[in-house]
Amino acid sequence: MAGMPAESPKTQVPLPPVDAKVTTTACEYCPVACGYKVYTWPVGIEGGPAASENALGIDFPAPILSGRWPSPNMHSTVTIDGILQHAIVLPDPDAEHVNVGGNHSVRGGTLALKLYRPDGPTRDRLQHPMLRVNGTLQTISWDAAIEIIAEMIGYTVEEFGELAMGFKHYSYEYFENNYVITKFAYDAIGTPNVAPHHNTGHGTDTPGLDDTGVDAFSASYEDYKECDVAMVIGSDPYETKTVAFTQWLQPGGAKIIQVDPRKTFTAAYAEANGGLHLQLLPGTDAWVYGAIARHILEQGWQDADFIRDHVVQDRVEIDEDSAWRRRRFGLTWDEWQEAVLGNDELTLEAASEITTVPVEKLRQAAEMLAAPVDGGMPKASILYEKGLYWSHNYENTAALGNLSALIGARGRPGRATSRMGGHQRGGASGASYPKDKSPTEFEGNKVEMDCDRWMMEGNTRMVWSIGNDWINGSGASQYVAQRFREMTREIGPQITSAIPANAIAALKERLDNDGLFIVQSEIYTNSTTEYADLVLPAATWGEEDFSRNNAERRFRLYGKFMDPPGEAKPDWWAVAQVAQQMGFDGYDYADTNEIIEAYAPRSSGRKDFSALGEWTASKGIKLHDWLREQGTSGIQTPVVIENDEPVGTDRLHTDMSFKGGKSRFVIVDFDAVKERNELLGPNDDEVWVLTGRANHLWQSLYDDLRKPHLIQRYPVAFLEISPEDADKWDVVSGDMVAVESDRVRTQDLGTSFGGFTAVAYVTDEVTEGQVFSFFHYPGSPGNSVTTGDAASTPQNPRQPFKFGRGTVTKIGSTNLADVMSFVPRNIV
Amino acid sequence: MTEEHEPQGTVSRRSFIEGLGFATGGVVVGTVIGVAIPGVGGDDDDGDAVARPPSDGGDGTPTPADGDPVVTPMVATAHPRVKVGTVSGLNTGDVIDFNYPTEQSAASLVKLGRPAAGGIGEDGDIVAFGTDCTHMGCPLAGTFKVEHGILGPCGCHFTTFDLGRRGSVVLGQATSNLPQILLDIEGDDIIAVGTLGIFYGFRDNLADITIVEGI
Repeated sequence: MAGMPAESPKTQVPLPPVDAKVTTTACEYCPVACGYKVYTWPVGIEGGPAASENALGIDFPAPILSGRWPSPNMHSTVTIDGILQHAIVLPDPDAEHVNVGGNHSVRGGTLALKLYRPDGPTRDRLQHPMLRVNGTLQTISWDAAIEIIAEMIGYTVEEFGELAMGFKHYSYEYFENNYVITKFAYDAIGTPNVAPHHNTGHGTDTPGLDDTGVDAFSASYEDYKECDVAMVIGSDPYETKTVAFTQWLQPGGAKIIQVDPRKTFTAAYAEANGGLHLQLLPGTDAWVYGAIARHILEQGWQDADFIRDHVVQDRVEIDEDSAWRRRRFGLTWDEWQEAVLGNDELTLEAASEITTVPVEKLRQAAEMLAAPVDGGMPKASILYEKGLYWSHNYENTAALGNLSALIGARGRPGRATSRMGGHQRGGASGASYPKDKSPTEFEGNKVEMDCDRWMMEGNTRMVWSIGNDWINGSGASQYVAQRFREMTREIGPQITSAIPANAIAALKERLDNDGLFIVQSEIYTNSTTEYADLVLPAATWGEEDFSRNNAERRFRLYGKFMDPPGEAKPDWWAVAQVAQQMGFDGYDYADTNEIIEAYAPRSSGRKDFSALGEWTASKGIKLHDWLREQGTSGIQTPVVIENDEPVGTDRLHTDMSFKGGKSRFVIVDFDAVKERNELLGPNDDEVWVLTGRANHLWQSLYDDLRKPHLIQRYPVAFLEISPEDADKWDVVSGDMVAVESDRVRTQDLGTSFGGFTAVAYVTDEVTEGQVFSFFHYPGSPGNSVTTGDAASTPQNPRQPFKFGRGTVTKIGSTNLADVMSFVPRNIV
Repeated sequence: MTEEHEPQGTVSRRSFIEGLGFATGGVVVGTVIGVAIPGVGGDDDDGDAVARPPSDGGDGTPTPADGDPVVTPMVATAHPRVKVGTVSGLNTGDVIDFNYPTEQSAASLVKLGRPAAGGIGEDGDIVAFGTDCTHMGCPLAGTFKVEHGILGPCGCHFTTFDLGRRGSVVLGQATSNLPQILLDIEGDDIIAVGTLGIFYGFRDNLADITIVEGI
């Protein structure tokens, strides 16, 4: 990309002086959320190399594994209270949890480079509200922006109903923001047209597993270390949840059963360290878990005690369940055995044919997971992520949930079933989701609204997109862009005057013409900004006190240590201003502590810290201040009070109580899976286009683009191609290729054309007939050819992002092989 | 990858730049050249020099315009010149360990058998790098894999570095490239003359530990 920063190596870094200010926080990025310390001190001062002369308390050079070496990319200069200061963002060397001793990934380790500075690559942070006038974004005031938004929300709801007012926000960006956003959307506006970043609506991502009773985030990192066998599915933990692997899974010595179509680093590691790689054909997960389960059953290796005591045996319990999905899909132990033993496709041989996983590996996996060890069950955990549930959402999670129940991998040390997480957990409900208003149904049951389909079909008139890149973050991303263009630019009128009354008049007329008004809150512009008419600058990590959970439910304060740029304001503030402008009470929060204290009594389930909120109130302590004192340790939710002290919960289900009471087995509809593979999978002329994350890259690259050390690794989008396909297509590493499809399934159930370009990376990570790309590379997202059709998973509308298909065509050679490494990434 | 020989005691600016993908014209002759990379801003211009302001994040240094490389010659008086091997004695796959620029800075000289960014010798494939992992300091000695031209994976957290691409991270967690030892050829001798990038644990490559003796 033109103008992209390149790394120029430094040979020095300033040390923090003894009296440098220290703020604790956690990493911005992946679900692990390592603890960090931020050292800030005025420019012009430096600490010395003796232990007595620096805040790190060691003599320099720093010793091996000390965690006390700030690399130059951990340093920046920032403005604090108007004064230029050094900032070092160091993985907390004193951390007692998560990243014990200062372990970190390349993503978090470069957090300092994300900080706003007017003389660096982050200089293009959004700083003022902007209105698109005569086609260009022009600076306006907050007052004007709030006036326009408030007036237009009111108009939208009044003229077109609350379902016409949409919100696309996030489930990562902190409890405080999400509490206010959802309170406003669900309660003040009263709309279910609210979806978090990647999803089409609210609700669970893992319905099948939920229905078998297990919470999606039940494990603690201790379980990663305690287990002897870890079945890792649909994610590469080394690459994308790095410290969960390097601090917990790998040092614990578990043998890994890696389930993934690609031979990634962790797959290669598993094979080299006594584990297995089940390299399945995409879309065939259900047969893998089904066949392993059947083999365990046939051998009698199941956890009979767990099944007897904690699994539903009686049909009446299912028929009388209060939840429709458990009634619809629940099976008793006997019914499930009958279903599995009666399905001829679940013999090891038949499943091997379908999945391409060798019979012997399926057999070995079953043995590792369940064959008796010293007369008991092996300590096996199941750790999974999006490769599982962004494929066949219900059936895959159901098949895995059944296997998990069969081996009793629930609620015991080293025997957990849990998501590893995609991002951190900042979701918070400020009011109840109005499901009764959802227009989306399955077999007569209301399910969470498919907001994307609603939008693409032209029913949404106004949407507030907060902290996400809607277009590139969606399947069929180019179709989304096309529809946005049609609804915002081709349906007029456009705004031609910055005076709020004139802008409002133009927007109302556009809405009357079936058009759309997009408000975007962001820290940088992205692919969605082009279709936004109003853009608000957000304050983010380090610029406000916030809190959220990591993937082991560790609740921590992310402390403020610097000024936001310009007039940037946190998202909660902007929403609260609009709510007050519209006349709603209860939005006059003074700060984020007031918000977290308001959320506390509503927090529930795995995030429940209501008791903590009561306890801090009884002590006259601010909840944020108490959390700040816990530093990078925080506390694992749910929190209880014992002997007048808050106590966290390391793992869930230790009392053997599950969703709906007992665990249960559930129906896996293999015919539905086959139909969907036919609908969404490649034909003979196409290849699978797999997408996912990569070690160096975080989400939309909003920070990585501005971190020279990271973006130098992938200066353009890459496409992993097998040596066999590379020969066939006459492609070598460094060539540019076009990945295209005229059969991209869209949000409104049609098909569309989509495509992206990428540099070929020839590697044995992928097999013939499959290619892999990063899902969200700016300008060239793999999502261009993944499906946006959430209605194809009707029990729980979710975009099956793992279904991508297309053709690959060589465009020509480049000089990229001279500047970018094409060394295999799976060398162990 | 083009490799250039400079007059004795110099390092080719082109060899710096090419590894980073920027077009460049001409070669600057100096003792050691500091390079400012376009588009980075003013904080990244301290190639390898002593003539610079205190490490203040580089504020106040001019910011080059995009696509307009700026060359800032700076004299490196502090880095010693040290013989680390001979061209004739080095075969593809060989590794010679040494300490540079301080007595605690572990480094290796290798011949990759393929052109490398910043490589010297007839085939431009002789390079040297610091060998303490820039993630958390674990030693990378013994992990050289000639078939891939890499050091790693590190025994601690599995970072792998591409020695043909400036010691950049192929896969892994190091927040800076491996520091490259700048090399020169004098007759048959391979001479270490400077460093590009920081060594693990140091606040300054030349600070706090005794510098090795030069020739």
